[in-house]
Amino acid sequence: MKQNNSRLQAVRDAVNRVDLNSFRFWLQLAAFALFVYGGYFAIDLGSRLPLFSCAYNDEGRAAICYLLPLQHQLSQPWPRLFSIASITVITGFLTFVLWFIFLNKGWCGYVCPLGTIQDWITALRRRLGIRYSRYSQSQFAQLTRVKYLLLALMILIPLGIGGGFFSHDMSPPFCLICPARMVLPMFTGDVSQFTIDFSSKTAMIMTAVGISITGLFLVGAFVKKRFFCFFCPMSALHYLISKPALLKLKKDGNKCTRCGDCYRVCDMEIKEIADDVKTVNIMADDCIMCLKCVASCPEEGALKATFAGIPILESTEAGFIKRINKGCSDGK
Amino acid sequence: MLATLSMNGYCQYSPAPGKQLELGGRPGAAMDRAAASGAPAGGGRPEAGNHRSNARSDGMGMHSGGAIWLSDAPPMRGGGSRSGNARGGGMGGMNMGGGYGGRAMKRLWPRAGNDPQKSSFAREDAQASTEILLVTPSSTPEGEPLPAPAESHTGIAFEVPAQGYYRVYLTTRKLQGKILNVCVAKAEVANFGHGGDEEEQARGMQAPRILESAPIEIVRERQPNEKMFFQLKSGDEQPFVILQKGLPLPSARVRFVSHQGWSREAVSDEQGRVSFQVIRDYFPPWGEFQKRFKATYLVIAEANAAESGNYQGQPYTSVRYQATLSGSYQPSPSDYMSYAWGLGIGLLIFLFSGVAVYLYRRRRVKPFVEVRFDEAK
Amino acid sequence: MENESPKIIPIQPAPYSRSRQAGESQNVLDHIVDDFQDNPASMQYFYDLFRRVYCHGDALQHEGMLVGTTCIQAPEELIYAFGATPMRLCNGSYHYDQRGADFMPAKSCSLVKATLGMLSSETVIPKIGKPDLIVNPTTCDQKKKASAMIEGMGYSVYDLEVPSVKESEASRVYWQRSVRQLAGRLQELTGRKLTRKSLKQAMSKTTRAQAAFRALHNFRRQSPSLILGKDAFLVTNAYFFDDIGRWTTAVEKLNEELAQRAKAGFKAVQSKAPRVLFTGSPPIFPNLKLPLLIEESGGVVVTDETCSSNRMLYDMTAVDEWRVNDMVDSLADKYLKPCTCPIFTRNDDRKRRLLDLVSDFNVDGVVYQAFAGCQVYEMEYRSVAEEFNRAGIPLLYVETDYSTDDKGQLSTRIEAFLESMKNRKKQRA
Ligand code: SF4
Ligand code: SF4
Ligand code: SF4
Repeated sequence: MKQNNSRLQAVRDAVNRVDLNSFRFWLQLAAFALFVYGGYFAIDLGSRLPLFSCAYNDEGRAAICYLLPLQHQLSQPWPRLFSIASITVITGFLTFVLWFIFLNKGWCGYVCPLGTIQDWITALRRRLGIRYSRYSQSQFAQLTRVKYLLLALMILIPLGIGGGFFSHDMSPPFCLICPARMVLPMFTGDVSQFTIDFSSKTAMIMTAVGISITGLFLVGAFVKKRFFCFFCPMSALHYLISKPALLKLKKDGNKCTRCGDCYRVCDMEIKEIADDVKTVNIMADDCIMCLKCVASCPEEGALKATFAGIPILESTEAGFIKRINKGCSDGK
Repeated sequence: MLATLSMNGYCQYSPAPGKQLELGGRPGAAMDRAAASGAPAGGGRPEAGNHRSNARSDGMGMHSGGAIWLSDAPPMRGGGSRSGNARGGGMGGMNMGGGYGGRAMKRLWPRAGNDPQKSSFAREDAQASTEILLVTPSSTPEGEPLPAPAESHTGIAFEVPAQGYYRVYLTTRKLQGKILNVCVAKAEVANFGHGGDEEEQARGMQAPRILESAPIEIVRERQPNEKMFFQLKSGDEQPFVILQKGLPLPSARVRFVSHQGWSREAVSDEQGRVSFQVIRDYFPPWGEFQKRFKATYLVIAEANAAESGNYQGQPYTSVRYQATLSGSYQPSPSDYMSYAWGLGIGLLIFLFSGVAVYLYRRRRVKPFVEVRFDEAK
Repeated sequence: MENESPKIIPIQPAPYSRSRQAGESQNVLDHIVDDFQDNPASMQYFYDLFRRVYCHGDALQHEGMLVGTTCIQAPEELIYAFGATPMRLCNGSYHYDQRGADFMPAKSCSLVKATLGMLSSETVIPKIGKPDLIVNPTTCDQKKKASAMIEGMGYSVYDLEVPSVKESEASRVYWQRSVRQLAGRLQELTGRKLTRKSLKQAMSKTTRAQAAFRALHNFRRQSPSLILGKDAFLVTNAYFFDDIGRWTTAVEKLNEELAQRAKAGFKAVQSKAPRVLFTGSPPIFPNLKLPLLIEESGGVVVTDETCSSNRMLYDMTAVDEWRVNDMVDSLADKYLKPCTCPIFTRNDDRKRRLLDLVSDFNVDGVVYQAFAGCQVYEMEYRSVAEEFNRAGIPLLYVETDYSTDDKGQLSTRIEAFLESMKNRKKQRA
């Protein structure tokens, strides 16, 4: 028993010393390959996934981002939506929740292809030696609300379409302005989304906004880490249902020195991760659960990621020192 | 299961009135035009020549005459129906909305005419014998007979419980003098729903699409990589295969009629194959343009055979086969989607924001930013 | 010409080793070395170092230019990255304290006075040479005002602007800019450029040193203790002026020895010795009066929260992008955010840190040293005392300075304090 415990401890120590950045890189690469090219290998994980595995990437996708079917379902004519179809909406949502609960926002930090692309663009910028930008705190406070606004619109507009208030050319509203619709199919050589649809005024405006957002996305992701995630309605939806999630980010405020190391490395500029020493479940609404903060906290056990209550990655001094030494010698 | 349905005497073929550009109302003109415009005309094959003369000599230009075909819309809707909102009721790859539960039904109307928009209901004909077969994803490949509609405007109705392709064959036989007219009107209805049972969908996609017992049949060849929710677009090249009892039928005369009645004719090759490019014939003012405008095309194939035998006790010396198939197409995205504008706007925003960020950052490097106040009055 | 052959006999300056100042150091060092048993063998390096530098006045070598700092807030990684060597000028000598009284009002902090006294004297001990630049972070009022005085002594001084609020965004941005400006000044001074490579090398030096310090720090968690606090203070004091590589190697050796001690079940003190957390004004050799008094009286200083030791070496820097811009900003963050110096408006972090140390190190009581004249520590006493009161942890507040006059009186107070802790311990057990 004792031996078992020490073996477990040894495994934990090894995990806590992991080079999180390269682990994450490879995992993200694998997930990207799966979701963007999996379709060629007849992989199909359904259409309720809590990440941007874009449906417009017709050929390669291994699953469909839940936002598309959600908007489709909600834009059915009301008589149908509020009778038979409501069951489909509810079961669809429940399936989505089940997928989500498993990884919590880890879907964002490790799996979402659009998130991964942003990390690659960041890596490119870093290699070019161009520094990144940050928001000021007042900008942050304003911008962080945008995703909730988008989420609300993403639900209300389809309902409006179903109710006959808006044109069908607006459907699915969020997808039309989502950069993933243009960026992800590109990876399978499909550039057909880079078009303006002149078939009606609404379609023209929506596609023009969409393409403009894609242009902004590319520039934004270049100068700002995880630029889009900040506005992502999926992220907002995640946060609203994150209570029962299995993967959790926890903080022990007593052990925290408020050194700000975690805040420093946080791609999402979440200040509370360092400054809040009271909250235990420290995952903020912008968090993407990349767990970089855990890896960069030098205080034993101040931050940890747990899965169903079992710690899987914990901040340790030894792990911190190992990573910082690696950084000093070959950090990028 | 025999019932009679008329198409004004016999299966026959006549040009669409009003579209005979060069030759006015002369019967057979469209066919001539197609032949003249360089479509393969079957060389010197006797059947082809025969048929043409037959057709003419038989006085095809009957008042409401034309081929019998199956449509998913009754004539009063004006043929071309807007289906952007109406998810149910599609042919040739349109989803029928069966995925939302309930007892999904599909209705098809036999229509007579050679112009999709101008074809009226096929009327009953006491002299012809009619037989309807339905092949569903769950039935045997031989299909099941369906009762004929009580009245032609009620259409042929059937349930579509499963996902996959449903095919209806309306076969009419009629003896006319020494000639037996055999006409097979076919409809293929795709019934798939978003989020349905995926195995069922896969099975539906793989199921055979040919009826071995059909005396003549047109099969729309699938496009490469065709998926469940396929929609033909104008501008696409669409091949068809003409089969007789499941075997390729070469040298059949095949005519493709567009929604507006434009037609083109070709002759099937050794593999029974013939291919048409779907023309663009939808030119509304911009404000009325609908990108999901569902236009109907009609394909008619004909072949003559010097077969003799008895039909209902009467002898015949030759058989005239006719097959029809209709389907839908939508405006091609390239009619209204512009890469130039898309890339242009994208690039513009990209450059603009890139430069803005750059300038902003440059400005920030300057050592000092002056504090200024508004001169309040 | 009356005095045509004036036989001026030059007054031979007495060798430093025989000066009063050397005597002061000698006494303390002898006390540290001889009056305690079982000193770790690897402490010999530090004893010898202090003997050479403080008692004999031997010169120390350094690389490149010498940059003096008067506070831990001056980012030493930057100094190393420019190929210069940092040296912490904060001084603990009573001799210099008296000298420095010329510059400051009588009721000012001994540390600042001693630093001024040292810089104004001809023989600066430790003898590393004249700093090419002195970086003076604008922390407490006395240090701020010292700046011009040091300049008056002929040094070139750089005021590193430190904000007085830690939490606000404005101060963070301000401080980051301040640090970048310091880098600009250092570039001017050394004529070198700050490169990714040099900064990484500098950071790997300090990281190694910090890792060694943290290992030592962790050994001190052990109860009963493996090493006494007076030795630990000596180790961290050596960091002020010793070559960083040599220092780190010596600490790593010490750690190895402590590991062996731990394995052998060694006890540096009796099991019931009260474990003391030392906080407040920093003990700097030779002013180790208070820690020594505690340990003479049977207590043991197991950890501390002072800027001559824990606060100086504990907090480490995390970097996300190993590029000059991000590294410099990260360094700036590390020097500001976790700092528990009382010059900042709020001291929540200090209180939390103290409570955490108490629980982690199994501490029985806290000794709070405030140098007479150090207003900020004096002012913070109240809130810290309240915090400990609430937590039920005994606290002894000692206001003192570099003179040894109050030794007798202090020793009585400390003995009584330790005694009460022992009783508490017994009662609990
Ligand atoms: S927040 Fe980012 S990573 Fe998460 S779903 Fe949205 S785009 Fe993907
Ligand atoms: S890195 Fe760790 S110790 Fe530092 S502020 Fe974050 S949680 Fe606290
Ligand atoms: S808080 Fe931590 S896990 Fe969340 S985004 Fe920031 S660094 Fe990643």
